Amino acid sequence: MKQNKIKFISIMVSAAVIISFSCSVHAGQTYKLALSLAITGPTSDAGNPYAKGVEDYFKYVNDNKLLGDDIIECTIRDDQYKTDVTKRNFEEFLDNGIVFYLNYSTGSTLALKQDFEEEKIPVIPASFHAGNLVDSNYIFLPIASYSAQCIGLAEYVAAHHKGGGIPKAAMFIHPSAFGRGPVEDVEKAVKAGLNMEIVEVTEHGKDLDNTAMLQRFISKGVQYVITQTIQSPVATLLKDANRLGLAAKSFGEEGKLTFLGAHYTGGNDLIALAGPAAENFFWTTSYTLTSEPGPGTDMQLALAKKYGRDDKAANSHNYTNGIMAAQVAAECIIRAKAKGSKITRETLYNELLAMNGDNAFKLDTTVGPVTYSKTDHEGVDNLQLYSVQNGVFKSVGKPFSPEYSKKIK
Amino acid sequence: MASNRWLTTGNYFTSYKQEQRIFLTHLDRTGFLIFLILLFVWPLVFPPSNKYMLVIDNILIAAVAVLGLNIATGFAGLISIGHAAFVGVGAYTAAFFAKTIGDSHVFLTHAWPLVILLSGFAGAFFGAVVGLPALRLKHLYLAIATLSFQMIFTWTINFMDFFDQGQTIPIARVFWFTGEVSRKEHYLFWYYAILVILILLGFMIRNLLRTRYGRCLVAVRDNDRAADAMGMHPGLTKVYAFALAGFMAGVAGALHAYLYRGVGIESFSLHESITYLAMAIVGGLGTLHGSFWGPAAIKMLDLFVENISEYAGSVLPATMNLTTALRPLSFGLVIVLFLMFEPRGIANWWRIFRSYTRLWPFRY
Repeated sequence: MKQNKIKFISIMVSAAVIISFSCSVHAGQTYKLALSLAITGPTSDAGNPYAKGVEDYFKYVNDNKLLGDDIIECTIRDDQYKTDVTKRNFEEFLDNGIVFYLNYSTGSTLALKQDFEEEKIPVIPASFHAGNLVDSNYIFLPIASYSAQCIGLAEYVAAHHKGGGIPKAAMFIHPSAFGRGPVEDVEKAVKAGLNMEIVEVTEHGKDLDNTAMLQRFISKGVQYVITQTIQSPVATLLKDANRLGLAAKSFGEEGKLTFLGAHYTGGNDLIALAGPAAENFFWTTSYTLTSEPGPGTDMQLALAKKYGRDDKAANSHNYTNGIMAAQVAAECIIRAKAKGSKITRETLYNELLAMNGDNAFKLDTTVGPVTYSKTDHEGVDNLQLYSVQNGVFKSVGKPFSPEYSKKIK
Repeated sequence: MASNRWLTTGNYFTSYKQEQRIFLTHLDRTGFLIFLILLFVWPLVFPPSNKYMLVIDNILIAAVAVLGLNIATGFAGLISIGHAAFVGVGAYTAAFFAKTIGDSHVFLTHAWPLVILLSGFAGAFFGAVVGLPALRLKHLYLAIATLSFQMIFTWTINFMDFFDQGQTIPIARVFWFTGEVSRKEHYLFWYYAILVILILLGFMIRNLLRTRYGRCLVAVRDNDRAADAMGMHPGLTKVYAFALAGFMAGVAGALHAYLYRGVGIESFSLHESITYLAMAIVGGLGTLHGSFWGPAAIKMLDLFVENISEYAGSVLPATMNLTTALRPLSFGLVIVLFLMFEPRGIANWWRIFRSYTRLWPFRY
């Protein structure tokens, strides 16, 4: 009887030892992050692959123990592009104790700006609207703003315009803060000396035919159309221009229209929507593309393969966009951990502010390093111009930084 | 038994005044008082998370708006497809003050009950203006007129520089006797503020329905020619129904602006108008408490479907894309099922439940 008792006690002690050891194996901390975006509903064509990019990269961080025993737990919620739902999601994330937040739309980023300030939480949105940074300390754009992108396109037009006179351009924009944001800044750049004339700014609706508008552009002598919207209206525009024989075969062809666009206008989805009409469309973004293989795109494709994503998601620049936002957030945690700091909103915020000079975050998914400081909240300052050649986006020249975006500040 | 106001089960009225009383029995009044006390006490006993408090605040704001819609559509029979625009008028009245005098001005932060009241009057003004076609138009034609207002409102805000073309216009935190309402107590504070306003408006409507002006609404809905023959003015009745609906919507809009601490056009779209109409139908058109059931049902359904979608998305293959379809499908299905099987809405279930409990255990 006594022997049985000893046996029982020794088994219990061994079990306790095993449990305590196994606990110490998983003694790592969990860092809670969150993302609210449009996985369904309007603009989900961008939001869906973006969510996959964020999800996959954080999985990769955890699976490969980039944070040692610590793990990142990122809750991803669909807000269907509705600000009210984003607000509700954000409150839930705060209740869960998040230390870093990834947001999506321009509307919700502007609406929650005050909350971010009060909560002192670092935020990276998928919106590159320059207005996000006004009166804000905690919002960090991942790449150059839409304004900088449109100014960059305008500078390219001014520098490469063939023929005499001032190049005449029109702006074709989304009827929202997202679309309207850059217009004023491009106009400022023109006033500051950029050699270009903006003949017309048009906010598109859900038009299925742009014939009248395109003919009007031609009659006004417009040669370049800078687009700041999403892919589907651009695809319609390009198809109409091709049908009417108004699309330029090469950049700046006289009497024809050359189309250019900022980040959300392009990518493989545009080629899928516009087909051959997408040929010679000029597009700028700070991301590397899978049509131009390199270390960043190799990593992206490997990540997509590892987590079972289809080709469409794997080759989407919005998937890259999501990966990059997650990379920056994870890098902040890695750096704070390396310093022995406790992972809090404050330490991660400070890591973002210190991301410059020798501390700039060099990653392969973008065409330049990510730099932030107290006065600079735009991550990658460099842009790369691409154009569709034989059905794929190919680089045009080297990465550049728009000069006038600094001049007009 | 007949004179026992605690247990009366049948109709024993001996005067019109008795028939018009708010509570039929003492039991009704006591039950209602206990319910009100519970509404005020529960957040202090079981404090919910900010997320759920925000959902509850939203339900209460929607109830204020649907109360107005029920006046126009349920009681006066005037279909309004632009109710969110009236809510938007209220919200943009607060935004107007924020833009003109500054979002942190003492008028906005301290005199917020006055701002809410003024927003209500702005809603009433636009309600009356939009109601003017009701003097000439009926049925589908009138519905389209209200739809036009929704479109004009959205277009105007989107293209007005003054309102930042529909971008969010911020509003600072309000003050109460205890000082500035902090972020921590924000949702709880607005829960009580909205609840008090809702109760006051609910009693106001309940009392209105007991007056000849209230009866005019119902008479015009049922047969405006007969109402005209009886000496009522159908045209004016319709205009004042729209004005009253606009007032409620305006109040709801200002509450929305304060709760979200900002105003953006996205919250006042045509989709929101349809949602208000759905809330009124699901709750029960032409019933006072239907205005409370509808918003609660639709908002809770939305939250429930969101959770189901999330679960389905994590279990089912992504190619099925079920989550894309589940929300609009469930929303549409609920409306269709209610229209088919319970056109009188949840309010009718409540009526059946109350009759059952009043009669049980067959006291007569």
